[in-house]
This record gives sequence, structure tokens and C-alpha cells, in this order.
Amino acid sequence: MATNRAGSLFGGVDFTTIILYVLIVLAGWVSIAAATFDETVPQLFSFAHFYMKQLMWIVVAFMVGLFVLLLDSRYYHMWAYPAYIGGLAVLLLTLVIGREINGAKAWISFGSFNVQPVEFAKIATALAMARLMSEYSFSITRINDLVKVGALLCTPLLIIILQNDTGSGLVLGSFLFVLYREGLNQWLCILGLLIASLFIASFMLSPMTLLVVLILLSTLSEVMVSRQIRSRIILVAGMFLAAFIIMLLSKFILDEGLSLYVSLLIVSLIAGIALAIYSIRSSLSHAFVIIVLFIGSVIFLLSVDRVFNALEPHQQKRILSFMGIIYEPAGADYNVNQSKIAIGSGGLWGKGFLKGTQIKYGYVPERHTDFIFCTVGEEWGFLGTCTILVLFALLILRLMRMGERQEEPFGRIYCYCVASIMLFHVLVNVGMTIGLMPVMGIPLPFMSYGGSSLIAFTILLFIAIRLDASTRQFSINQL
Amino acid sequence: MMDRNEGFMRMRILQVIVLFIFTLLIGRVAYIQIFNDEYTRGAARNVMRVDVQYPPRGEIFDRNGEYLAQNRECYDLMVVYRDMDKAGFDTMRLCQILNMEPRRLVQRLKDARAYPRAPQRVANYVSQEEKLRLDSENLRGFYTVSRTVRHYPLHVGGNLLGHLSEVSQRYLDLNPEYSKGDYVGIGGLESAYEEELRGTKGVRIMERDPRGAIKGSYMDGIYDSLPESGQYLISTIDARLQKLGEELLEGKVGAAVAIEPSTGEILMMVSSPTFDPEELVGRERGNNYMRHLNNKRNPMFNRAVKGRYPPGSTFKLVQGLIGMQEGVLRPEHTHPCHEGYSVGKLHVNCHPHASPADLRFAVATSCNAYFCYVFRDILENRKYPTLKDAYDKWYDYVESFGFGRRLDSDFLDENRGYVPTRERYDRDYRRSWNALTILSLSIGQAELGCTPLQMANLAAIIANRGYYYIPHIVKAVEGRDSLDRRFYEKQYTMVDPKHFEPIVEGMWQGVNVGGTSTMARLEGYDVCGKTGTAQNPRGRDHSTFLSFAPKDNPKIAISVYVEHGGFGASAALPIASLIEELYLTDTIRRPELVKRLKTMEINYKRAYGN
Repeated sequence: MATNRAGSLFGGVDFTTIILYVLIVLAGWVSIAAATFDETVPQLFSFAHFYMKQLMWIVVAFMVGLFVLLLDSRYYHMWAYPAYIGGLAVLLLTLVIGREINGAKAWISFGSFNVQPVEFAKIATALAMARLMSEYSFSITRINDLVKVGALLCTPLLIIILQNDTGSGLVLGSFLFVLYREGLNQWLCILGLLIASLFIASFMLSPMTLLVVLILLSTLSEVMVSRQIRSRIILVAGMFLAAFIIMLLSKFILDEGLSLYVSLLIVSLIAGIALAIYSIRSSLSHAFVIIVLFIGSVIFLLSVDRVFNALEPHQQKRILSFMGIIYEPAGADYNVNQSKIAIGSGGLWGKGFLKGTQIKYGYVPERHTDFIFCTVGEEWGFLGTCTILVLFALLILRLMRMGERQEEPFGRIYCYCVASIMLFHVLVNVGMTIGLMPVMGIPLPFMSYGGSSLIAFTILLFIAIRLDASTRQFSINQL
Repeated sequence: MMDRNEGFMRMRILQVIVLFIFTLLIGRVAYIQIFNDEYTRGAARNVMRVDVQYPPRGEIFDRNGEYLAQNRECYDLMVVYRDMDKAGFDTMRLCQILNMEPRRLVQRLKDARAYPRAPQRVANYVSQEEKLRLDSENLRGFYTVSRTVRHYPLHVGGNLLGHLSEVSQRYLDLNPEYSKGDYVGIGGLESAYEEELRGTKGVRIMERDPRGAIKGSYMDGIYDSLPESGQYLISTIDARLQKLGEELLEGKVGAAVAIEPSTGEILMMVSSPTFDPEELVGRERGNNYMRHLNNKRNPMFNRAVKGRYPPGSTFKLVQGLIGMQEGVLRPEHTHPCHEGYSVGKLHVNCHPHASPADLRFAVATSCNAYFCYVFRDILENRKYPTLKDAYDKWYDYVESFGFGRRLDSDFLDENRGYVPTRERYDRDYRRSWNALTILSLSIGQAELGCTPLQMANLAAIIANRGYYYIPHIVKAVEGRDSLDRRFYEKQYTMVDPKHFEPIVEGMWQGVNVGGTSTMARLEGYDVCGKTGTAQNPRGRDHSTFLSFAPKDNPKIAISVYVEHGGFGASAALPIASLIEELYLTDTIRRPELVKRLKTMEINYKRAYGN
């Protein structure tokens, strides 16, 4: 069957993925038109309109995609390292001749057209990752090989950080997803995930909420192992009660008294240490690990909090923007709030094409680029947002499936890389517009306005389609 | 190298993670879009600018269709602080256009900063030309709202009409249907008929972009509403009388009220000193208001319904009527008067006149002694077990004439006046009092306090021979067939109409035959009148005159009260007479009398310090 496909141009091409891609691109185009429609420009087809410019980029992207499909899949394996080296070189070059936009020196200008090399560096890194991890001698359990992977990821990341574009660089962190699939020790994965989510949570939640969530989470995970529900509920309830009593008593001794947060912190740390000792003695290893993780998380959070709050506001700002979080002075979350208002006001059915007031009048910042999701939300309502999210979910799951059906690790790893990049972008971008994530300047794949991003994502995806299409024809290792 | 099974399991876990992440995102989006309408409201708040459309307030006409209070177009300048162009804003330029002190403008803008999203008023009483200049400046965040203010073409009736004031916070708390910046009537007609006059506000909801530029109507105007103008009022006032009355009382302190006896309609209501209502409109309002407030003669106090005065000799009419009704007095009864009334050490003075006098003559000549006899006879009536019971009866009579209680006119702040009760005397005299103790009541002195409106009402009662209609100031309200029914019901006194004739005769004699009021005579109009000269502790006697005309089928009943004006005949009488002349004959044939009154100087140094 596979050989039957080989003859034609589109032999083996996964049309489901192509259809999903085309649907998302078109939805993005409609949203850009809605977000930027300028009634003062009389000609509907004038290139003064953003949607006409984007239409041009879509045509270009389709042609690039076609070109990617035309190339033999062996080239991608072959060019993986050269592309990676080339990518690093362009990133370095950007540091020198790059153009600064929004504080990040991450752009190269060709006349009025700006390219963000990091978009293309992602493709090169994904290819290089696939190549490295598919080497026959590679073993993910070997420290040496892990260090190689680390170096492969950290080199571009470092340059991107130097460009002051950390937000875009953090996408490389999503390769943890790939590493897990390829058999990375699951505890390392959990640790990585924990640190990442704690880090994000420390910006999104109050310390009190975080502490309560941590206590409940660690208790829950312990219960899942030990299956002793009653005693653990009593334990947690006892801790909260003790914290409450300490708070009340402290009011008699100290002038100010302790807040509930501080009391709970003290109680949970003391209880944690006591339980850790107890679990060692009773040789309850899983409980010990969970408690150590808990104490570690609390200390991590405390130190983030401490270090961060000890800084001057302008230093805080620098650190936040270093980490890729867009700092907003006074009225901190004005933009996010406006974004939520735009999405929320769409309701179930939306206000209709070109009828969204928040978008049209410009209450939402970056409404055709990073906040394009708001346009969908306001004009097409929950129906629209849900459709878009389902399309992305299908695309990501499809990519994983494409990866799984590859016979060669190279193709599988590459597909997973693409899936993880997509997942990261969708999660961070959509999460940002609905207040689940801190604000980072990260585009929504295929939808946000801009040629360089659209073309880069198209190449990224179409390489995966190409690899999938030819997987059963050639065995790369046999070459 | 891991085996295939392990890889498959990990793929499943990753699939679950992907599904979990998307479930989380979709769940959150569903919450924001479907289950929480706060964001929908937030979107509306973002783009909406609610412009109040003020209705024109109902206008007020006099009984002949002349404008007493008219509307004039003007504007409020509003600002939405958030939309202001803070950097490029030129304070001085705006001050120049508005002719406003920079200090005040800066203060207003500072206040507006507290509510950056809400429209706040920067200036009111912005004229048409100022608005046009503001429009051409096109200041971002600023806009004008059209509304109307009062204009008083005749410049009369300050206290009568009341004035408009921006609602106070206290008023807002009590009346939630008002909002900040609304005007509300204070005093007089404006407050009594606030509900009818104010109309209904409309709204126009506009859409704006984040910089405050207006983009059009919100939702094509489906939530907009037009203002409904207030109902106009036709007042019972005759503007000519009002104007003449205010002119004649100028420089004097006092009040004059004229009533049409056959309807209870108030034809004129002057309280002096008064103010030009126009002074309380516009930017100078605050200064003028303070000036009037600091004036010791208190021009913003409506003496006509709130002032309390001893009625003096005019009260003798009531005594005579009560005496006859009680059967202790017949018109032909005579009493001697030798320049007064003496019992033991007590002596009530009287001016020299022929003696003895019957009731008609006593009224005409205003004999003090005669009514001392009458009052004693009323109180010492054997019909009642004790004198105090007789007093109670007397009190009821007096009250039936409208004294010591509110007449229930359409003025909200009508004073009750004061008639001493039996309990009051029991307290003051430790229960030991008799007719002699309170003898000065007989001639309308002592503790008695009456408002000029009550006194004019007494004139109307006598003119009608025994009943009155509750005095009122409004003849008709737009869109309404009738007034409150209380204004159409005859209010009878406790004295039988048949007893009024001798009193009327006496009043007629006093003007037309010989007595204290001869100056009030108008050839062919059978004027009836009664002077009053009320002693008071603060200086010269008050001058008062109570009158109606013609004797049969009376057209006008009037009471004039001039504080410290001396004899009733010297100040109050000529004023009343001129007003009657104008009303009955439509002309004034005694210009020299007008001139004399206008130049009359009354010394108020002792009473008011200036």
C-alpha cells in the first residue's frame, strides 16, 4: 500500500492534517480581517488592509508548504545538523545586526518586512533533536547523552535570552514532552513539570492559595499511593485547625499577631519535617518523596517570593521581562482584563463578524497578533473559541499519532517536537488571553498576523507531514 | 532502550495530558463566556458613555398667560477624565473660553480624577457661544450636554416661585430617583410642584473607543430614551399685581397677599424684601445666594407664608363674629369708650371717638374698649361651667377661621401661626388666670401670631360671609383636568353666615362713611376694610390693613402687613388700596400716592440693624 502512494506527488500525505491546517489558517485570516478592518480604506482589496497582506502571506505559505512536500524526506535527516548550525549563526547574527522591537533584539529587517529568526531556529532545533536522539548509539538513560541533549537545547536558548526574547526561548522547555515520550526518567519529568508549574503559579496565585493547593495536592498524591483516605483527611484538617489556633493565640502574645498564611506555613513546615522523619523510620518511601517535594516546593516558592519582593520595582520589571513576562505598570492587568472582557462579552454565540466593539475600537492590545484569540472570542463566542481549541487539539493529537506510526525514531521524535511546540504556543497564548498564564509575547500558531511566523509554522508542520508521508517507503537507517 | 509497551503507555499518558490541557482551556473559556456575565457588563462599561438627556422643566405662567418662569437653552461641560489628553491639555485656554477661575477648573478636574470613567461636570451654565467655541476646540474627553435653565422675563416673585438648585447629597440619599447634577426646586412653586415640573430624563448611550472618541450610538440606540418635558403650570398669580406689590413694598419689610374670595386663588403674594429670581441663575448664582443669605432682612424668607405677626385690630372682626355666634353680642349693643377700657388698675387705651358705639361703629372706628367688653362677655359666658371651657370654645372658633394651624395650601413650608392654648396659660400663670389676664387677645395682641396668608384668608372669609376656599397658587397643571379636590370644597367657619353682615357693614363704613380707613375709598367699588396697628417690642408699631372689594360679590380680598410701618392707615392701607385699584379698574389714578409710598422711609435700625 505504501508503495502505491510513492508514485504521486501527494503520496502518503496525511490530508486530515492538511485540512486542519487550512481550517486554522482561514479562521486566523477571518479574525485578522475582523480585528483590523478599516472602514476608511475604500477599496476592499487594497493592500492597505492587513487582511490583504495576510492573504498574500497565506499564499506564500501554501507555496512554501508545497515546496517542503516536494523535497525528499532524506534531506531533512541530512540537513538537520547543518540547519541547526545555520540557525545558531543567524541567531548570533541577529544579536549584531538585529532590530529591536518591543525591547527584544530578535528581528532582522528586509526593508519593511521583519523576520524573527527564532521562529526558524525552532525548526532547526527540532530537526537536530530528532537527529541526535535517533542516533543508534543514543540512550536516554545515559548521562552523557542527556548532557548532549541539554547542550543542544541550551545553546539556542542562551542566544535567545541574550536577545532579550526569553518568552520565545521558553518554548524549548516544552521539549520535555518529547524527552518523556522517549523514555526520560519519569521523576525527572515530574520535577521539571513541578518547577515550571510552580514558577507560573507563583505569578498567577496568591501565596496563601498556592500553599493550600500544595498541601491538598501532596496529600492527594499520597492518598493515591497509600489509599488511606480517612487518616489523611484528619491530618490535613488538623493542620488547618492548628494554624487557625496559632493565629488566634499569636494575637495575645505579639502586637500584630500572625496572619493565617504565616501560621499555616509554620504548621505545614513543622508537620512536614515531622512526617518526613516518621516516614523514614516506618520506611514509607513514597510518602517521604512526596513530603520532600512538598517542602522543596514551599522553600522554592518562599525564595522566589523573597528574592523577588526584596528587589526595587524597576529591577522586578527587568527580571520579569527577562523571563519573558510582559511587565505592566499601574493597573497591572489592564490588558489581560480587557482581553478577558472581549472574550467574555462574546457569550455563547458571539456578536457576529465585524460586530465586536472591544476589538473594533481597540480596547484589546495587539488584537491581530498575540491577542488574536480575543477576536475569535468576541465575534464568534464560545462556539468559535471552542471550535478553534478543538481544531488545535485534533492537530496536536494527530501529530502525535503521526509520530507513533513512524517506523523510524527520527520521524517520531520530530513529530513529537512539533506537537510539543504547538501545545506550548496554544497553551501560553490562549492561557494568556483568558488569564491563566502570564503575558508573554508568543503568537498563536497559523492565526496571529505576520508572515514570518506563519511561514515558519507551515515549514515546521509540513516537514512532519513529509516525514510521515514517506515513512514506509524509505528506511533512513538503511541508506 | 525502552520497549514498545513502555513507549505506548507513555504516549497514552501524553495524550491524556494534551486532553487535560485543552479541557482546562475550554473550561476556562466556557466560564468566561457563558457562566460569568461580568465580562459582558465590562464590555458594555468599556464602550458606553451614558449621556443624560435633560428634559425642559415645565414653564410657569401667570393667570393671564404671561411668563413668570421661562426656559433658556444652556449647556453643561462634561469631562471623562480617562479620555482626557493630559499632556496636551491647556488649562488656561479652557478658562479663557469659559471665563472661569483657573483655580476652580483645576479643582473640578481633580475631583473628576476620582471617577476617571464616569462623566463629571466641569462647568454649568455654558452659553451657546461658549459651546460653539468649545466645539471648535474639540478637546478630547470633553463634551457638552444640553439642558435648560430658568429665565424670568418679569423678574418678579423670587420667594413665590422659589428657585432651582443642584441636588445636595442629603437630598440624593432620600430621593434615589435623582442623580448628581440634577436641579431641584427649592421653596415656592418650584418645590411644591417639583414632581409635575421636572419631567422625565432621557438617556442616549454612545459608543466610544479607548481614547474617548465617540463612534456612534450603542446598539443602534435600542436602549435610548427621549426626555419628556415637565408639565407647565398656570399660576393663579396676576403678574401685574405681583409687580406693583413688589414695587410698593420695596424698601419696607413685610408682606402682602391678595386672594380671589370666590375661588381661593392667590392673586398676589409679595414678601419684602425680595430678590430677582434671575440672580439665582448662572455663574453668579453662588455669590448672589451668599449675599442674600447674609442680608439681615433675609430676602429669601417668604414672610407671606412663614412670617408670624400679631394681627392687631384686624382680629377684632373675629371677636365680633364669635360674640354674635355665642349670643353674647348683638350688633345694636353699645358699649361706652372713654379713650379706653379700665377695670381696676388695668387700662386698655383707645383713641378719641364718639361714645357709646355699636358694633358697626366700633368696627369702623376700631374701638379697643368695645372689643374688650365683647371678649370678656365671650369668656365669662354662663353657658360654660368655667371660664377655661369658654376659652376652649373660643379657641375652636378662632381655629375654624384658619388661625393657629396650617391652611393646607399648596405651599410646602406654610407656617401654622400661633393661638395660645388654655394649657399654655395654665402653665404661664400657674392656673390662675381670667379674662382680664389675657385681655389683650381681644384686640389681636399678646401671644397671637398669624401669617399674612392667614390674614388674607380672613379677608376672604368675611368677603364670602362665612366660608373660604383653601388658598392656592396654581390654577391649572398641563394635562390635568383639575387640582386636588380640597381646593374646591367650601370651608365653613363655626360662625353662621348671617352674623357677617354687621361686620361687613362696619368695614364698609370705616372706608366709605367715616373711620380709620377712609383713604381706601374707590369711587363705585364699595371697598370694605379694617386697619390694624400692632404693638410690638422691637420698635414702632406694625402697620396692617385687611380689605376686600366690592362689598357685594367681592372680587379681591387682601391683607397687607408692613413691619414697623406705624398706623394701619399710614403704610399698609395705601398699598392695599392701590393694588385693589389696579385689579378692579386696571389703572392707577393716584400716581402721587404711588410716589409717596415709593419714597416712604421706614427706619429698621432697631429691628434689623440697618
